[in-house]
Amino acid sequence: MSDEDFERVQRAVVREVVDEQSRAGLDVVTDGLIRWYDPVSHLARAMEGCEIDGLLRFFDTNFYFRQPVVRGRVRRSRPVLRDEFAYARSVTDRHVKAVMTGPYTLAKLSINRSGASFEEVVRWFADVLAEEAEDLSRAGAEFIQVEEPAIVRNPSDFGIFSEALEAIVKRAGGDRIVLTTYFGDASPIYESLLDVGVGGLGLDFTYSGRLPELIAELGCEKDLWLGVVDGRNTKMEREEEVLAVMKKVLSKVSSRRVFIMPSCGLGEYLPRRVAFRKLVLVSRVVERWKSEQGQA
Amino acid sequence: MWRGGRVSRDKLERLGLKVPVLPTTAVGSYPKFPYLLEARKKFLQGNLSREELLELERKATRDWIELQQEIGLDVLVDGEMYRGDMVTYFAENMDGFALSGLVRSYGNRYYRKPIIVGEVRWTGPITVDWWKFAQGLTEKPVKGMVTGPYTMMDWSFNEYYPSRRDACLALAGAIHKEVAELWRSGAKIIQIDEPAISARPEELDLAIEAMKRVVEGIDAYFIVHICYGAFEFIYPGMLELPVDNFDLEMSNSSLDLVELFRKHPFTKDISFGVVDVHSHVVEEVGLIEERIGKALEVVRPENLWIDPDCGLKTRSVQETIGKLKNMVVAVRKVRERLNG
Repeated sequence: MSDEDFERVQRAVVREVVDEQSRAGLDVVTDGLIRWYDPVSHLARAMEGCEIDGLLRFFDTNFYFRQPVVRGRVRRSRPVLRDEFAYARSVTDRHVKAVMTGPYTLAKLSINRSGASFEEVVRWFADVLAEEAEDLSRAGAEFIQVEEPAIVRNPSDFGIFSEALEAIVKRAGGDRIVLTTYFGDASPIYESLLDVGVGGLGLDFTYSGRLPELIAELGCEKDLWLGVVDGRNTKMEREEEVLAVMKKVLSKVSSRRVFIMPSCGLGEYLPRRVAFRKLVLVSRVVERWKSEQGQA
Repeated sequence: MWRGGRVSRDKLERLGLKVPVLPTTAVGSYPKFPYLLEARKKFLQGNLSREELLELERKATRDWIELQQEIGLDVLVDGEMYRGDMVTYFAENMDGFALSGLVRSYGNRYYRKPIIVGEVRWTGPITVDWWKFAQGLTEKPVKGMVTGPYTMMDWSFNEYYPSRRDACLALAGAIHKEVAELWRSGAKIIQIDEPAISARPEELDLAIEAMKRVVEGIDAYFIVHICYGAFEFIYPGMLELPVDNFDLEMSNSSLDLVELFRKHPFTKDISFGVVDVHSHVVEEVGLIEERIGKALEVVRPENLWIDPDCGLKTRSVQETIGKLKNMVVAVRKVRERLNG
């Protein structure tokens, strides 16, 4: 198959999944990451200093990624996300959220054979991703979701993690960055997350019963992206359950904007029809919330 | 240094199993021959009867048993010609499961992930007839092969049990019955596939508890297969799994585990993966010898088994034969050195 034909198919699938999200009633859509082989090698493949190696399980899922081996100074060899974002935006009138795996998680999931320290490798990845984020920002991305699932499992690395994010914030502007964690309990690091200079926080509520009270207690001034619908189980939540969690979380926060979403990406973990039903559930919950608030 | 030592060799002898030093084996699955792939497609389209498909699955099993004997493996597998996926196959044959749509595994590979929708129950033998059939074709031991409860739980959606623990222990009870039936039928080496076990270190105790239920009261030589996870978080704790042999993927992870075993000695038998199942390249004999040499730095010869990293079903038949042949040649060379 020629590159042109392949690109034609990829674009058709992007249109299809963007349309699917619109039909489900979402206000903010993504391009479905349909070009991504996995969340790690898709970005690392376009970097000097990285070789792509064998398969490894992605956290506690049954989904696998190709592991990068860092052999030397990491540099961007070509831009990746800018054109992907631009295409998605050209096919919809909804808001489009760009997605990237964060520098700390990329480094954590790579094998470091560069001779440099782990911290240095995180900084290298941060430099490349800051360029990507800057491109996205120039292309008009309102929301850039930087995914950092690895930090919830390694809270003691918070220093270098936050340094790397600030590097991205500096180049792309903090307002549009949505720092997102999933596949683990974010409550132990929630307070520290508030100090990172990003505009939004995305959180997975399926791993922690404590998180809603904690947010109510400590408050939040950033945009909140609440992963309150389980993106990893086919069991459909009752709308009341989800609303109850939302109410608890939002009782004291002063966030300007609040978004409701599944707890993680859906493409890898749910069958497509169930994924669609989960998105419909997300928009129904939001509708109910709005009408209840309206009445109040 | 090693607490395991001869204990497992004594067990093999007691069970009447004669295997040479550095026994060679395979992890479980082999690629399906083109005629079987074609037949499975026809069956799904409704153009082939269940009985006709079964006959071809038997033929494919016979072909793999013959090939393994020609290649010279010591402990054989039936090749899983009758299975699609290792979790789905068992889910389809137990009560309590429904099947979902396609879920991504990696790249463009997808599988049907089971959904637990009711009480999980073993309703009768699942793999036993296949084991009997395969064992009836050869003098060499054939491994009994089942997917473990932790992996069945972790790789299924759960809409029924209140917790992961409840689902896992219910599955352990069901799988115990299958294992007991294999044992009663004469299987002396039984492998429990638990690839998911390394994914959540905090649940290792649950996996161990479930495995205890699976093997309880059964005097077989048990192997657990674990792969593609972060072993550094569950080692050495995982040695508490009540099995005799750990079958681990080593080549794909650049043999990092060997370093781990230097720090904390491996106390049981190990089936050491020496060929990468995700690479089309057939490893040279010299490279495989080198990998076996690495293993021998940290494990005694009497505790070491040699096999591929994982099931070979994603490779071509030719690549599979090539990898297994070179593996056997490499093992023979190492054996000669050990004897000489």
